[in-house]
Amino acid sequence: MATGVLLREGPRAYWVEPGSPPVGASWAAGPLPEALRRRLPPPDRGDVACADPALGAVAAATGATVRSPTLAELRRARETLPPAPAAEERSWTLARARSDLAKALAQPVETLIALAREEERVERAVGREAGAVDQFLPGPAGELAEYARDWELYRAAQREHHDRLAARLDRLARSSVPNLSALVGPRVAARLLAAAGGLEPLGRATGARLQILGARRRPAGHGPRYGLIYRAARMTDVPPERRGRYARSLAALAVIAARADRFTQADLSAPLVARRDRRVEQLRRRS
Amino acid sequence: MRRPPDRPRAVAEHLYRRDEDRRPEFWTEGLGEPLSVYGERIAFVEGRPLRRWEPYRSKLGAALARGWSGPIPSAGERWLYLGAATGTTASHVADLVGREGRVYAVERSLRPFARLLRLGERYPNLLPLLADARRPEAYLDRVPPVDGLYLDVAQPDQVDLALANARHFLRGSGALLLALKTSSMGREKEPRGHLAEALARLEGPWEVEETIPLDPFHKRHYLIGARPTRALLAAPSAPGVTRRAAPRAGRER
Repeated sequence: MATGVLLREGPRAYWVEPGSPPVGASWAAGPLPEALRRRLPPPDRGDVACADPALGAVAAATGATVRSPTLAELRRARETLPPAPAAEERSWTLARARSDLAKALAQPVETLIALAREEERVERAVGREAGAVDQFLPGPAGELAEYARDWELYRAAQREHHDRLAARLDRLARSSVPNLSALVGPRVAARLLAAAGGLEPLGRATGARLQILGARRRPAGHGPRYGLIYRAARMTDVPPERRGRYARSLAALAVIAARADRFTQADLSAPLVARRDRRVEQLRRRS
Repeated sequence: MRRPPDRPRAVAEHLYRRDEDRRPEFWTEGLGEPLSVYGERIAFVEGRPLRRWEPYRSKLGAALARGWSGPIPSAGERWLYLGAATGTTASHVADLVGREGRVYAVERSLRPFARLLRLGERYPNLLPLLADARRPEAYLDRVPPVDGLYLDVAQPDQVDLALANARHFLRGSGALLLALKTSSMGREKEPRGHLAEALARLEGPWEVEETIPLDPFHKRHYLIGARPTRALLAAPSAPGVTRRAAPRAGRER
């Protein structure tokens, strides 16, 4: 039985048969190049070992029997390939890296993570500027008062920028993590997502983890009660001494919401919000 | 005669050493433009641009500072670097292998990778790959057989990842450098316990040449240098996925 390995390396495909030099042809997509096609054994005479799914599919389309190679076969075949020209290898790998990165960053979740981080940064900047106002005494007129007016314009523009950014973030959060956004508010949902690092880790997190996600203190001994969740919806409706309890309950609900957003895509927002509000009322009544 | 203390001298191709302070200091011959990659010090010796290898930023750099005598990347070699992050150590490895060598730097997280890509664009021999070290078959088309495998991935199953990648990419004459990050392998065991377990796992397929603790530069870290044996390369099965399928939560912030 004749058999050989079909390989892909950079912008090329190779056919490697034991005992003869490898045959290469440029290939990126589309049908198998003629030079390789002529070498493939017909189905009754042998098979084609190929580890690359796309290349394997193309080979199968010519009628050859395609199977996956053993590791030893693959290693032997790869050892025989001529080294790729340095400049070509470099430009090809960099181009691939650029397109892989661009593709990954364009996913809605990655966009949301980037925006959430940006919003956090801009929010801090707005707060810093607002806090600095008290430190600055311009007097009623003169050079300093003029500067103060300029500065006020700058702060207004900055606030407006932040508002626009926040609106954009909220809209994206409502579409990417609808349940969580309804439960804790879109801003906090986006920040939780960014802190978790993606939908997958968020969907796999436990309630305890969500509760302290984004906390600055390390959970050693008595850990922190809240992280990002401290700024979640309705937290301010609960008396301060009960906020820890509320954080716990809310985290438990948030896990359900996060899992629905990641795995089932079901709309649970109405029942979850109802349970959240019931809990808030319960905590308020006990005073 | 005492050699002048303030001048790095060559100890290997592209690698320089200076013994002024208590610990030796290492420098590599830089290839990028601009030279500095992560804010390290730059010096010119005999017209060669040198970059100081900061041991607190790099595990291999720390191992050298602690007297590492195991395998290290040398000129002209091809290395597969898994877990390159932003390319701090990877850039020094690229310096060591020189213009004739190649470093295939694999990183999974997007934001560190964006910086690694920028580094790759100005480093002639550093090739960044956005991929997951758990799926070596995904970069088979971009990485040829290599002379060395450097693994620094902060995953609990690092040893398995080393094995899976070595089976795909490492030449029989190659070397493995494994930066063992014991705090990523669970807090229930002491670092020494993790080390012993890792060494036991390596036994058989690998021949361990040297193991060195990296403190005080990196606490709870070790560097292991090993060579593959026939048992590793005579792989039993088809190109496989590693045992643990799903990556754990966590992204660098």
